[in-house]
Amino acid sequence: MKGPSMGNEFEPKILYILCSWCGTGGAETASAHGLHYPENVRIYRVNCTGSLPAVHVLRALIEGADGVAVSGCHPGDCHYESGNYHARRRIANLKKILGTLGLGEDRLWFRFVAHGEGRRFVDTAAEFSDHIAALGPNPLTTRKDT
Amino acid sequence: MNGATVAAPEGVREAITDLLKRGLSEKLWDAALVPARVPAGDSFAWLLVRDGSVLDETLPLPPVMAVQGARAIYRLARRGVTGKVAAVLRPCEVRATIELAKLKQVDLDGLVLISVDCPGALPLKAYLDDPQKGDADFEKLCSGDDSAAREVCKVCHLFSRPVSDLHFATFGMDSGKSCVVAGSDQGRLLLEKLGMAKAGSLDKWERAVAERQEQKKQARTKAQATLSQDVAGADKLLETLSHCINCHVCRSVCPICYCRQCYFESQAILMPPENILERARRKGGMRLPTDTLLFHLGRMSHMSLSCVSCGACEDACPSAIPVAQLFSMVGDATQSQFDYEAGRSVTEPLPTVTYKEDELAGLVAPYTETYDAREASP
Repeated sequence: MKGPSMGNEFEPKILYILCSWCGTGGAETASAHGLHYPENVRIYRVNCTGSLPAVHVLRALIEGADGVAVSGCHPGDCHYESGNYHARRRIANLKKILGTLGLGEDRLWFRFVAHGEGRRFVDTAAEFSDHIAALGPNPLTTRKDT
Repeated sequence: MNGATVAAPEGVREAITDLLKRGLSEKLWDAALVPARVPAGDSFAWLLVRDGSVLDETLPLPPVMAVQGARAIYRLARRGVTGKVAAVLRPCEVRATIELAKLKQVDLDGLVLISVDCPGALPLKAYLDDPQKGDADFEKLCSGDDSAAREVCKVCHLFSRPVSDLHFATFGMDSGKSCVVAGSDQGRLLLEKLGMAKAGSLDKWERAVAERQEQKKQARTKAQATLSQDVAGADKLLETLSHCINCHVCRSVCPICYCRQCYFESQAILMPPENILERARRKGGMRLPTDTLLFHLGRMSHMSLSCVSCGACEDACPSAIPVAQLFSMVGDATQSQFDYEAGRSVTEPLPTVTYKEDELAGLVAPYTETYDAREASP
């Protein structure tokens, strides 16, 4: 366990996008069990990760988020059958665009979280937050000319 | 491989025009879509020709690509055409047409796609400035010196034999000769009807194409590595895009960007002043109009999987941003991860409409059971 913060370390802004069936369910289970996730992680609910427009992720990364994580149902569990598979392809596409242009594909994460996986939800939030903290601030968020 | 040998003493353009005339007179098609020089003489436009004598005014394979052929076809064949229309296209225009067909924006029924080995095209602005020099430059381009070609054309490895019905093979052929290759059942049937099914050897052409393809692929890899050094990273990318005047002309000339209501032209992108002021507060200042980077990245996310590297966007850009080079580099990356190539096949599904249950294993962040961190630990 790390010592107390001296107040000068970088605290990333994280957007955690969750589908309304599994991802959000994971967050509910976490709260029912009294589990905590870092306060710099803002969760954002979408109906299905398959319906998440790529532009929302891009806008977040340009306007203030140091990292964006996306969680939806496990393969085979999607409420709409295939939304999570389409989301996985869309995220792969976005990561490739970000990577090719040197904008940091590591700032975007995708991980399946089921309704009952409260532990997995808080773990993902914490792990991703630490991962982004290690990467440092996202240079796009402070640029005036975006 | 075999094809019908046609005499082309005046060059392949004559041979194409002759074929179009025969097709019109023998009622194999009712109209032909061919580029023609504009009256001012300094550019080219698409002409839908129904009278064979008008074909003398046209010029297949023009030195520039003023309007991407797929855009012309989209206007004509959005819901299919009545009768038959033969269109003479560059390979990238055929590939864009195929993508539009898969996006359900072009109905291929009723179209006869005719393509030709493409030596590349000249930058539109250079040609407008000096058409005489442009014509001379295009001659050079045809004889193998591509120094005047557009950047995307210099590194185009898909310059030959798209999935068209008929393809005119010229590379590596003896001068005064060209070969027509059928690429589909419709193409084979047409050649039979024209009495052109006679076989001629295509070995020389195939060797020349393979050799050129190899050269271009190497040049492509090299050019993209250089471009990546120039544009990768937030600072360099924003510097590259800093000349953008938000005119969105790259989108409006793009053959793939068919959406009647583009997100980036819609009300959804317009924010209330308090939103913009807040963003300006957060960043210390805000460039207006907003969302330049979002437009380019967003457009990449929307169309790069179908990008055919035709270069129309770069020709149109008034600010000389290397848009086509950027999009083509990103398109190559996004398409290859799904083992997809835009316009390669009519039946291959678009990567966005299909999926495999077991794929992209490396993409999903592996889970560390009970992650031990500052915040998560009790």
